Amino acid sequence: MRVRVRLLLLRRLADAGLPVVAALATTLLVQALLPAATAVATAAVVSAMRREGEDPGALSHLATPLALLGAALLVNVALKALLRPLATLTKIRIDGAHRLRVARLAMGAGTIDTLEQPRTQDLLRQVTREPSVWLEKSISDGVLGQLRTVVQYLGLAATAAVLASFAWWLVLVLGVPAVAVRLLAIRRWRRHFRIWSAGLPDHRSAGYWTEVSTAPAEGKEVRVFGFADWLVGRQQRHVRTHLGPVWADDRRAGLGQWLPTVLMFVPLAAVYVIVARGVVNGAATVATEVAILTAAWSVYATLISLDDVVNVAGAAPVVEAYEELAERLGAVSRPAPAVLGPPVAASTGATAPPVLRFEKVVFRYPGADRPVLDGLDLEIRPGEWLAVVGLNGAGKSTLVKLLAGLYRPVAGRVTADGVDIHDPVAGGPAAWRRRLTVVFQDFVRYQLAAVDNVTFGAPGPVDAVALEKAVTRSGLAPVLERLPRGADTPLSRTRSGGVDLSGGQWQHVILARACYAVHTGARVLVLDEPTAHLDVRTESEVFDRLSGTRNGATTVLISHRLSTVRGADRIVLLADGVIAESGTHEELTAAGGRYARLFKIQADRFVQGYDDRLEGSTLDGESR
Amino acid sequence: MIADLAVRRESFLRCWRHSPGLTLLSLCCIALNSVSFAVVGLGLRAVVDGSIRADFSAIVVGAAGAAAAYTIDLVVGQIGFELRTHVVGRVTLTEVQPEVMRATMGVDTIEHLERSDYLDRIGVVRAEVWRVVDSGWAAIEAFVFVVRLGAALAVLATVSPLLLGLLVVAVVPLLLEWHGGRRMRDAEAAAAEDRRLERHLLALAIDPGAGKELRVAGAADRLLRRQRQAWESAATTVVRARLVASLWSALGWSIFALGFIGGLVLLVRQTAGSPAAGGDLVLAITVGAQLRFAVEQAVERSIDAGGAALVLAPYRWLREYHAGTAARGGPGLAPPARLTDGIVLDDVSFTYPGTDRLAVDRLSARLPAGAIVAVVGEYGSGKSTLVKLLAKLYRPDSGAVRVDGTDLADLDTAAWRAAMSAAFQDFGRYRTTVAEGVGLGDPAGMDSAERIRAAIRTAGAEEFVDRLPQGTDTMLSTQFGGVELSEGQWQKVALARACMRAQPLLFVLDEPTASLDAPSERAIFEAYMTRARAIRGGTGAITVVVSHRFSTVAGADLILVLEAGRLVESGTHASLLARAGRYAALYDLQAKAYA
Repeated sequence: MRVRVRLLLLRRLADAGLPVVAALATTLLVQALLPAATAVATAAVVSAMRREGEDPGALSHLATPLALLGAALLVNVALKALLRPLATLTKIRIDGAHRLRVARLAMGAGTIDTLEQPRTQDLLRQVTREPSVWLEKSISDGVLGQLRTVVQYLGLAATAAVLASFAWWLVLVLGVPAVAVRLLAIRRWRRHFRIWSAGLPDHRSAGYWTEVSTAPAEGKEVRVFGFADWLVGRQQRHVRTHLGPVWADDRRAGLGQWLPTVLMFVPLAAVYVIVARGVVNGAATVATEVAILTAAWSVYATLISLDDVVNVAGAAPVVEAYEELAERLGAVSRPAPAVLGPPVAASTGATAPPVLRFEKVVFRYPGADRPVLDGLDLEIRPGEWLAVVGLNGAGKSTLVKLLAGLYRPVAGRVTADGVDIHDPVAGGPAAWRRRLTVVFQDFVRYQLAAVDNVTFGAPGPVDAVALEKAVTRSGLAPVLERLPRGADTPLSRTRSGGVDLSGGQWQHVILARACYAVHTGARVLVLDEPTAHLDVRTESEVFDRLSGTRNGATTVLISHRLSTVRGADRIVLLADGVIAESGTHEELTAAGGRYARLFKIQADRFVQGYDDRLEGSTLDGESR
Repeated sequence: MIADLAVRRESFLRCWRHSPGLTLLSLCCIALNSVSFAVVGLGLRAVVDGSIRADFSAIVVGAAGAAAAYTIDLVVGQIGFELRTHVVGRVTLTEVQPEVMRATMGVDTIEHLERSDYLDRIGVVRAEVWRVVDSGWAAIEAFVFVVRLGAALAVLATVSPLLLGLLVVAVVPLLLEWHGGRRMRDAEAAAAEDRRLERHLLALAIDPGAGKELRVAGAADRLLRRQRQAWESAATTVVRARLVASLWSALGWSIFALGFIGGLVLLVRQTAGSPAAGGDLVLAITVGAQLRFAVEQAVERSIDAGGAALVLAPYRWLREYHAGTAARGGPGLAPPARLTDGIVLDDVSFTYPGTDRLAVDRLSARLPAGAIVAVVGEYGSGKSTLVKLLAKLYRPDSGAVRVDGTDLADLDTAAWRAAMSAAFQDFGRYRTTVAEGVGLGDPAGMDSAERIRAAIRTAGAEEFVDRLPQGTDTMLSTQFGGVELSEGQWQKVALARACMRAQPLLFVLDEPTASLDAPSERAIFEAYMTRARAIRGGTGAITVVVSHRFSTVAGADLILVLEAGRLVESGTHASLLARAGRYAALYDLQAKAYA
């Protein structure tokens, strides 16, 4: 393992706090020295016992060595009692700090394009994964493993000193084969690791199909189509492809175990005989012999354990991924401006909505050959209710992301009251977003209290007045009343006392979230396909509510369901990266352009049954 | 408990049958290891005594014995453990896990996949099924612990019978460790909710989808604060329990250590000055230290075994549940080759287990052979439940579904399903190739490229499939090195899958076009209807379309309007409009937007 990774791991110790780390390191160190200390104390007792033979009856000089031995045993007890809570605390603090750091890093990037890149997502998965297989370790496993490794070598040095009290070359007689055993074990482990990792894609696939076998949605298809046997066969194929070579290697590794057996047995036995002979020859005392007999094996015990090698190697990918991630996301994360300014006229909603302008905006997704938006010009007037329509993939959602400053245009700019929303002098996107609220189609369902689910719609301390208004006007109040703990009920069954809301109930929560933002200073309200999954009645209710809660804010509605947009002040049709048509419903229908055709398709449903339509109406290219 | 024992025994026998050689070898290693430390003590004593008496052969024998025993402890013990892991892993993955999957999927209804308490149990078994296999070995391990303890004590007794008193002293830390371990387990359970919340918040923080809203709403700081709170709350619970457990453990081991020191003092007093002095002391210290190790390990494993019990119970439940549902099968009649009359719902009622509301409430209707039947209603009106009842995914609590007069319960489930097809609202997005994702619709046709092609064509998916980088061999899912489809494209794959069976008697389309733009919706819908019309002639097939969009159902032969599980109206579009009831009201609500 590279030194840089080891150092990066050790640096994370700072997250646990100096006192904890100091206590932990001391405990580990004393523990590492203990085998040697016990050996020395035992030798002292023996030596005293043998002198006892010369001066029988007086136990006085036995008292000190016995007390020493007793102390060593008690210290061992105390150390173990200290070690476990210290290690737990260190691990929890390091992992907690790591996870917060990742969250901060991911949310720190002002725009969202880097976050969306597959490589960034891979890295994020890597740094936040919780160990699920034996070769994955958490970052704190690696940190502690590295710390223990350092300390262990100090303990080995003490044991070597005990051995050297007989003869210096005894250290070599045990040390060289012990190191060889370790190297063999590491080599074997590396090979195993490599073979195991090579099958990771199959491992993931096997896991995926296992999951499918118990998934409720897929469960219906498994039964109706009858592919249970196929599924098991596929899962087993992945299991065998992954583990076949691993199992073969297990066998090979098992057969190779004779070598470490010999490398341990022969030197140990030899050392025992040599030392015992030394006593017979008078070259050493029985006390020295006892010390060496008690301590010698700990050389092997220390070196043979690969736990910490696995810990460090298993955590290394996490550290490395974090470094790369910090580089990727750090480059786009700008420090928050020192002063965000006071929340814009909270509760009163006094300030006027801005004039919004897309000026020759070009946007292309990385790797795409065609721009999604290609020189788009659009002005959104203060207080206007604007509807944006277009086919799937026309760039409606991209437009929303550009408006929210989540992407930077490749060319052109988006301005609010004439100021580029990315202009750092004006506070950048973060400041602009305080005047904006967006209801996304994939809105966030926080597993937090209902009240948090509303107030997470806007930054800053909770504004009770705005909250009250939002809950009332969005129609959330009756929903809250029926919840077991009212507004404090967590909105997830995974929380104690929590409940899962229905789709319609969530829609009220989201509406309340948007209202809350409007009443705490947001002057532009964007709705991105808010009603795609709603039934008739809820959909019309949502729109009635919305018109009541706009509070004078500019409203931009993205939709492909044309029935919902016809009441807008203005409708723009997005096609080929530009605004292709613009006007009121009546104007656009009268113009007989693409909007008119799209509207006709949907309206036709209500005019005639589909039986008739099958034969009829060729529509120029819209369905292609 | 007894039942658990039976499973443990069965699991171990599985290992034995699967790899008798490796199992035997592993057992030998474990057996050798159980006496290793007793031998170490004896060997080292022989070396010391031999060196004092200048008895060279005693030295060599003792040295060889001690070195061999140490080697067994460190190397052979490890081999035994690795062999066990190997055998357990193989048996788990090649025998027990497939068996669990088959049992889960073999239950012909899906109640166990939709009830959260059942799903929790299945989740536990799925995640830790290896524990089931390992449970037999864990029982053997408990026995080995007793042997290990006995051997250690027997050797100590050769020095002085007084040292047997250590057994009594060792019980104290054993009990206290166990107590502490239980406390830790409780703390982990208590911290689980906070951990889940923290995991959820972190997942939101790194998710680009949620990232949009977090940025626009400026919720990052508050999310971080909640994340930190949740983590720290869990940490406090766990660290506090760990501290208390350690104090108990320290107390126990201090008592043991004092007892041990007392024994050593006695030993030293007895043997001081005698030639045997050194040897006995070395033995006592080596074996005494081992006692602690053995007790610690035993406690750890017994807590672990408690964990195994948590898996054994749901494992047994799943097997019994599977066996129970398999036993309730009816006469298993074959479905008709073609429908002549149709499907009749006769006073059908159904309540989801664990709820008290009737999801379907005394519903009677006739779906005539060859008809296109639309089922409309708002959320929770019972549309999806009706579909599940038709597919035998649930059984009615009362009343019956009859297919040409035969009760669905009397038809062979697999055969009935082979005679139907369906595109569900929450269809599967299988991470495999397009060809397999479609072919799954009829595993028998999986190998037929033509049939898969035909299904893709029928579903109107040909155009987009041909544009994919490897056509029908394209992997679907970026995580597995393929492409990501849009919602509409996934929907077309699901439809193509449903088209694999050429001549179904029943074809179900559940909420087909939720999030599509107008032309795509129209295209998909037309593909559905073409399909419906194509199959109705040959086999008298019935197509059931479920929707809450009234525009999509107007042309059906029969429209069933459901409300709160009851059939409130039925008829054709025209007759229902003329009636000016529920259907007409809801239809007008949508239609006026297009007027």
